[in-house]
Amino acid sequence: MTGKELVIKALKEKNVRYVFGYTGGAIMPIFDEMEKRQAFTFIMSRHEQGAAFMAQGVSRASLTNDEPQIGVCMTTSGPGAMNLVTAVADAHMDSVPIIAITGQVATGVIATDAFQESDVVGVMMPITKETYMPLAVEEVESTIHEAFYIAETGRRGPVVIDIPKDVQQKEADDNYSFNLKTFKPNLPGFFYHPSPERDLIHRAIQMINSSDQPVIFCGHGVIDSKAGALLQEFAEKANIPVAFTLHGLSAMPVDHPLSLGMMGMHGTVEANRVIMESDLIIAFGMRFDDRVTGKLAEYAAGADVIHVEIDPSEIDKNVATSVAINADAGRTLHVLLNDPELTSRPRLKWFSQIDEFRQEMKADLEKELAAGVGSGGKLLMKTIIHKLSELTKGQDNIIPDVGQHQMIAARFYNFQKNNTWFTSGGAGTMGCSLPMAIGVKLARPDERVWSISGDGGFQMNIQELGTIMEQKLDVKIIILNNGYLGMVRQWQTLFFDGRYAGTPMLSPDFGQIASAYGIPYQKIDAVDNIEAGLKAAIDQEGPIVLEFVCDPTEIVLPMIPSGGGFNDMIIRRPEPLTDKKKENKGNK
Amino acid sequence: MSSEMKRRAILMFMHDRPGVLNKISMLIRKKMYNVDTLTVCSAKAPGTSRMTMTLRENDDAKVQQVIRQLEKFIEVISAKELDRELSYWREVAILKIDAERSTLDNLAPKYNFEILDQLKSDTSIVQVVGASQHIDDFMEEVGLEHIVEVARTGVTAIEQ
Repeated sequence: MTGKELVIKALKEKNVRYVFGYTGGAIMPIFDEMEKRQAFTFIMSRHEQGAAFMAQGVSRASLTNDEPQIGVCMTTSGPGAMNLVTAVADAHMDSVPIIAITGQVATGVIATDAFQESDVVGVMMPITKETYMPLAVEEVESTIHEAFYIAETGRRGPVVIDIPKDVQQKEADDNYSFNLKTFKPNLPGFFYHPSPERDLIHRAIQMINSSDQPVIFCGHGVIDSKAGALLQEFAEKANIPVAFTLHGLSAMPVDHPLSLGMMGMHGTVEANRVIMESDLIIAFGMRFDDRVTGKLAEYAAGADVIHVEIDPSEIDKNVATSVAINADAGRTLHVLLNDPELTSRPRLKWFSQIDEFRQEMKADLEKELAAGVGSGGKLLMKTIIHKLSELTKGQDNIIPDVGQHQMIAARFYNFQKNNTWFTSGGAGTMGCSLPMAIGVKLARPDERVWSISGDGGFQMNIQELGTIMEQKLDVKIIILNNGYLGMVRQWQTLFFDGRYAGTPMLSPDFGQIASAYGIPYQKIDAVDNIEAGLKAAIDQEGPIVLEFVCDPTEIVLPMIPSGGGFNDMIIRRPEPLTDKKKENKGNK
Repeated sequence: MSSEMKRRAILMFMHDRPGVLNKISMLIRKKMYNVDTLTVCSAKAPGTSRMTMTLRENDDAKVQQVIRQLEKFIEVISAKELDRELSYWREVAILKIDAERSTLDNLAPKYNFEILDQLKSDTSIVQVVGASQHIDDFMEEVGLEHIVEVARTGVTAIEQ
């Protein structure tokens, strides 16, 4: 068999259903073989970055399906591979398993700066879990199987396989054989510890039982280990409130009485206050990044930390732990739940304090949600998301882009179903939403999928409307258009004296764009039309673009300023902002 | 400032695969570790390399982080810090020295060195073996003004 045949064979054996990509000189042999075999559906993106985000969508969404899939993308060498970089780095930051197969120039010309040659392995190495370049046909099959094994084992992540063109075309040795059943990757340095150690569990339970003011953190690892229900059960059994990281959202219903919602920079005031007051943090599958902790020196000063995390390098990295449990979040929850020593305590004082925290911003938010418009009469994003949440009963798949609308979606969509929130968290890649939503839709054809972007992010991968058109994909597209890069504008309002450098943005007529792709379109600029617009999208069979005319002055609150501590949390809009600006100038 | 920091050594065994050295050097750059020396050789087990890394760091937690980050690499089989009291750290230096032969001869009782070549009457190629401090002391005693060139291997180490 030839290298290209072995690639297709291996992908078929891994039950790959979709390959996303873009062809070109150095990958043509594999594309040709794919066409001959018709082993899976090829979906052409309009830009390679789109292909990698589509692959992410498949991996993220199908994780909790009966048959999880690893998203695969395939591109040519040089620019084709380089265009994958952002989305691969994004997958690495968010621990998303994808396999990227790139064509490389033939081994004979590698390192001669041949046409469309790039050092793919060199570029990808720091942003992947592993990279490969098989130099012989006989390595191709084992490399692909090993790549899948690494991508999906332990803390997940992207793997890149760079295959020289001649390796794709050459015949394997006559006596080449490969048996998947007996294949075991030779990886003496690759191991992980899924099960928690008994004595650590014992210590953790003692701390939990004796804590007066505990809080549970639910991170991405809970969703990755399919343990949302277990986490909820644990919280209920031990009677402990739960705060979510951005990626932990949707692990359990976000309106559960024990839920505090999201924590961190744009987390809820109750989650952040609870963290500051708590005496014990029990963190599952998360990494205490700076958006979660704010200023480390002031972070949760009174709390002991039990950190359950599959990746040992995340333990004690940012926050020192009292009990470090290097294990799978799901297995640890299972062991904790089944330990007879775990007790429930009423913690009445703690919960009444939490009720007070919950009231702190409630009236303000309810007022804004009801008004639905800002001072200039334009729509508030939070009202739109809130309405979407109501109409869909929190049951739909939400794929936001990056920025204000992402934080607002995280805060105001009332997630009810496990693993229905797919977002670029670590890397914060604008433009991810549209292609990622395509992958999610393919993985969940029977469910409703919403891509929500700002006017900025939408235009970063706007070309993938072509993919939606071609594949006839029912993705509901929301553009929250405020004419600015809203999140940066918010920082400029708060910290840069209102100088809007590089944030105002002139957009094209999105109606004409949608129409050019044959996609229905509606523009909504009045509160009274929000519901009708969203209903039209729900009733519409097939894709639709809804553009909402949004208030550029809306700011996401609360906010912990970058580098600040939880005590610096801004919970009220400094009004009037313009006057404050003048005052500051006067003082100088 | 770095010279005031404690010198630590990490011993690592790795699966021989392309790119592993590249990964480690990238990690050092990315995480801005204060690495002094790095030596790599084949280990006893076939297909395995051993690497000794020395770095300047007073904070134990940071050294633990380095070890965990190294162990995270799929190729790294094990990484651990060497206890200074329970391990031997040695390096080799080859020096080109401009000094009277008698100067060197006077140092012979005190230092473990070998004259590899005598280029001119007052120019010698000298090999010194020992702990880093031993080599530093030797160089100081010869006098930096007499040292034309120095090549040091970096530290390699073994546990008791």
